[in-house]
Amino acid sequence: MSEDVLIASAGLTEGTMKNDSLPRQLARIGTIARNAFREAVRDRVLYNLVLFVLLLTTGAIFLGELSASQETKIIVDLGLSAMLVFGAFIAIFVGVGLVYKEIERRTVYAIFAKPVGRGEFLIGKYLGLCLTLFVNVAVMGAGVSLALLYVRGGWDPLILSIWPAILLIYVELMVLTAVALLFSSFSSPALSALLAFFTFIIGHFSSDLKTFAASTGTQSAKWFFGALFYLLPNFSNYSFITPAAHGQTPTASAICAALLYAFVYVTILLSAATLIFNRRNFK
Amino acid sequence: MTNMQDQLSRNSFSRAGRQTVVLSLIILLGLSGVVGLSRWMEAHRPPVDPNLEEEQLYVTGATARRLSLSFSGLVADWYWMRSLQYVGRKIVKVEDNESLQDRKIELTENEFFNLKMLPSLLDATTTLDPQFMVAYEYGAVMLPLIKKDDAAIALLKKGMAANPASWKLAHHLGYIYWQRGDYQAASETYGAGAKLPDAPPWLAALSARMLAQGGSRQMAREMYGRIYEQSDDKQVKEMAVRHIMQVDSDDERDTIRRILSDYSARNAGRCASSWKDVYAGLRAAHLNLDAATRAPLDPSETPYLLVKDGCDVDLDLRSLVPRK
Repeated sequence: MSEDVLIASAGLTEGTMKNDSLPRQLARIGTIARNAFREAVRDRVLYNLVLFVLLLTTGAIFLGELSASQETKIIVDLGLSAMLVFGAFIAIFVGVGLVYKEIERRTVYAIFAKPVGRGEFLIGKYLGLCLTLFVNVAVMGAGVSLALLYVRGGWDPLILSIWPAILLIYVELMVLTAVALLFSSFSSPALSALLAFFTFIIGHFSSDLKTFAASTGTQSAKWFFGALFYLLPNFSNYSFITPAAHGQTPTASAICAALLYAFVYVTILLSAATLIFNRRNFK
Repeated sequence: MTNMQDQLSRNSFSRAGRQTVVLSLIILLGLSGVVGLSRWMEAHRPPVDPNLEEEQLYVTGATARRLSLSFSGLVADWYWMRSLQYVGRKIVKVEDNESLQDRKIELTENEFFNLKMLPSLLDATTTLDPQFMVAYEYGAVMLPLIKKDDAAIALLKKGMAANPASWKLAHHLGYIYWQRGDYQAASETYGAGAKLPDAPPWLAALSARMLAQGGSRQMAREMYGRIYEQSDDKQVKEMAVRHIMQVDSDDERDTIRRILSDYSARNAGRCASSWKDVYAGLRAAHLNLDAATRAPLDPSETPYLLVKDGCDVDLDLRSLVPRK
């Protein structure tokens, strides 16, 4: 079902934009999000789960022999790292195509002929991909828990204690999706993917930027690297894989701060994306 | 017309079928060729220069940590498995050496094993994941065996700085000092470890007794017993068992030497010609004896050897009991 048909079926008619209420806006965003999720499923994005299951199964069977009884730690490291890598690839490569595909297929004309705002369109697309990532991460998390059950031959406290780290991975992917969407709002998919990938890498080097800013000699360099540190997303706030493998959990305040940081950052990115997208001419 | 269409359709199907068979054959033959070629190249590969094989790591642990983004734990796992594979490969190489098949080579014999990359591999592992306790434990046991005590002490001190509440690391550091014969440092380290949360009471007891009984076999037995109890690592447990066997064997050989010396004194300086000559004494000392030959058995169930014309006892070369 195409997006414009879905929007029409959601009871959206010409003129609704004029007397817009929040529930109506949310309904439109929800419709676009559901459709973006269906599209991702149709595009076989979730097939990466098969690869993930294979990776974990092989790991669970063979790692005990190779790691001198450290298989639970390695299963957690491997599982959560794979979750982040697969998720980052989906966020970047699917994220940069979300808007571009609609423009390329010219379906965007049909959508904007309906009472759908460009901001609503972007937020809907963003939430759709976040839903896809949520399903992906949840299934992978369950897979890691099952692998732990298998290697321990029963219950292990790690099965529960890895979930806060999984939540942080998901939040990191939400920020990365917003980054990809921002780049795709003004650039080609290839360039957007490259820029989003660089942001992902630099985001993990944030603490180095801060050290560099502090250690550098000139004041202007200090300002430059200091500004980069504060402006670029700091993904090290979400790096909790290694401690999680030792059964450690982040504090409630650390999780809340990370969630708030992500919320603020995603709001900024989506606002910027909407601002650029609003000025785009599709003629 | 219909017949002609049928004919055309059959021809195109048979052409497609032939093409499928030919392409499948090409794939199968190609794969067989690749396997054969790989085997030939494997067999004719020039031997690797041992100096190149032992080249130090290009990337230090700190750099690897910086480059690993969020995946430092996974990279640490990789270095950890590489450390184990490195030691395992050397052991297999020595075991496969036909000229050494008739004797048990100890890891302490550096001329055979030469594990010079192990300190840097363990250092990289623990830099990437400073809470990787098993790696510290492995280093504490393996590095002193290969005469890398200083690297072991540095590794443990690094671990204690990163995990200041871990009494187990203090236990391992104390063990290294004890092995070096530095009982003062061992006692101080155990004393410091005993003050940490959840430290077992025996750590304080070890600290107190270390100065007085540091070099005794009883202390050695207790040290290795504690390592066996505390470790989750199979290799470390095996090492502890072998050392306990060594201490037990030292006691047994002292007993046997006394029996041989008594026999010699009773027989005008003539030493025993076989174990049967001293059977009664061995039995009275409650030693484990072989039923057929009446030879005393060492803790690995290998018979001891009578040496120096029956005046002394030694371990058999096949024995699993470490010599040093």
